[in-house]
Amino acid sequence: MKPVPALFIVDDNPADLGLAREALARCAYRGQISSAGDGVEAMAFLTRREKFADAVRPDLVILDLNLPKKDGLAVLAGMKAHPELRRIPVVIFSTSQLARDITRSYELGANCYISKPGNLNEFFSTIKAIEEFWFGPVKLPPRGE
Amino acid sequence: MSSTGTKLETPGAKPHPKLRALLVEDNALDAALVVRALFKEGFDVIADVVQDEAAFTKALLAHNPEVVLADYNLPNWKGMEVLTVLRREGLDIPMILVSGALGDVTAVECIKQGATDYVLKDGLARLPEVVRRALREKHERSLRHQVEKDLAKKADELARSNADLEQFAYVASHDLQEPLRMVAAYTQLLSERYKGKLDETADKFIGYASDGALRMQVLIQDLLAFSRVGRNTAASEGIDCNGVMKEVLQTLAAAIQESGAVVTHGELPAIWGDRTQIAQVFQNLIGNAIKFRGDNSPAISVQAEKTDQHWLFTVSDNGIGIAPEHAENIFVVFQRLHARTEYPGNGIGLAICKKIVERYGGRIWVEAQAGSGSTFKFTMPLHGPDEKPEVQP
Repeated sequence: MKPVPALFIVDDNPADLGLAREALARCAYRGQISSAGDGVEAMAFLTRREKFADAVRPDLVILDLNLPKKDGLAVLAGMKAHPELRRIPVVIFSTSQLARDITRSYELGANCYISKPGNLNEFFSTIKAIEEFWFGPVKLPPRGE
Repeated sequence: MSSTGTKLETPGAKPHPKLRALLVEDNALDAALVVRALFKEGFDVIADVVQDEAAFTKALLAHNPEVVLADYNLPNWKGMEVLTVLRREGLDIPMILVSGALGDVTAVECIKQGATDYVLKDGLARLPEVVRRALREKHERSLRHQVEKDLAKKADELARSNADLEQFAYVASHDLQEPLRMVAAYTQLLSERYKGKLDETADKFIGYASDGALRMQVLIQDLLAFSRVGRNTAASEGIDCNGVMKEVLQTLAAAIQESGAVVTHGELPAIWGDRTQIAQVFQNLIGNAIKFRGDNSPAISVQAEKTDQHWLFTVSDNGIGIAPEHAENIFVVFQRLHARTEYPGNGIGLAICKKIVERYGGRIWVEAQAGSGSTFKFTMPLHGPDEKPEVQP
């Protein structure tokens, strides 16, 4: 039986997290959604430290860049340096349109970079496109455990 | 004489300031004669007298003379060396050679090397006028120098102030987008989720809030675009307007097709400027011509002609026209002539055109009559800073 897909969203703005969850509810996505509000919490969840000991390993990470405590690029670098986490695809989802953020993200191994749309309908269709692609035709890496 | 020099002073307790002079002279009598010549013509003199470089430098720095009077030949020094010391110390003090006969060639050579003037020792009657003129010229130089410094400082402050303002407009617009995105998104969600589920008043309230937020989003984006015009992001280059036109028509393809517009243009010149901004001007003008159309499909013509002073571009259309009394207003930022329900837009397009055109020293205006189409004209300089532009088509 196919395991339930697990999505991990890292964003310090609860309103944006709310929008993402709303968007996913409007798609066919029936998987798990976990989230974290800062980079330190994100790494703790991904490495299953302390209270996150039973956390499921996500199939896809949607990662904001401007996070408190530890920023998105540092989380990305941390994941790519970890033997089990580095295989997990990462979608950068940020309001930043700075060329240096885009370049750096790709250099550190992000799978793609998406700018958060300002328009609500476009935001929804962007989340939908992400969900349909990564949980549709894409073969995700098997969960190592 | 002692190596530290002697001091000479004219008698009398005249109330006006003394002329501080530095004499480079080994003959005491000659020095006295110089001071007397000046005193006779109204100068109240206080002078140091020195004979060598060390003493000269010391007196120079200690007493800050207004004029140096130097003999050409001294036992331990050369009078012209004074100029070397003055240059080294960075001081602009007139130096007048007071000497025996030197001959015209040497005299001219001394002036060329920086001596202000040359007076013969047996022609000291000339000296006061020479000193007066030297002081006057020095004074004018100082004034001019001060004016230049003030001007440079003002220009610098202005540039910084401008940069601050643009930075502020940019940051404000940019930072406002984020909270605005939240308001726009959630009022829209509210509207979708609760429409018809609360009461009619609630629907209305939520509707107004949502509309307001969406309009604000567009406004902020326009403001950002406007504040970006001054930011010198791209370097100016020679551009072929025919190529730019092609790109603009492509950008407006949907609007052109939807309105059935026909856009024609004559042969357009190569001009010097920022390609993106020039394209923006054409795009805004043609876009407006399409938007503000009457009952007929828009017929828009873009022409260019060369005058003595500039390139004159014309964008004319057969749309609703503009009443002459509004001809100036429309270029003011956020000025709109019609209700939002009649024609969309924020009223920033023409303000952006104006800002861009004026950035190159050009002018933009409209020749219009209400109801019979508009003719927009703008000028651009004939050449870039280095005469002939190299063309990138």
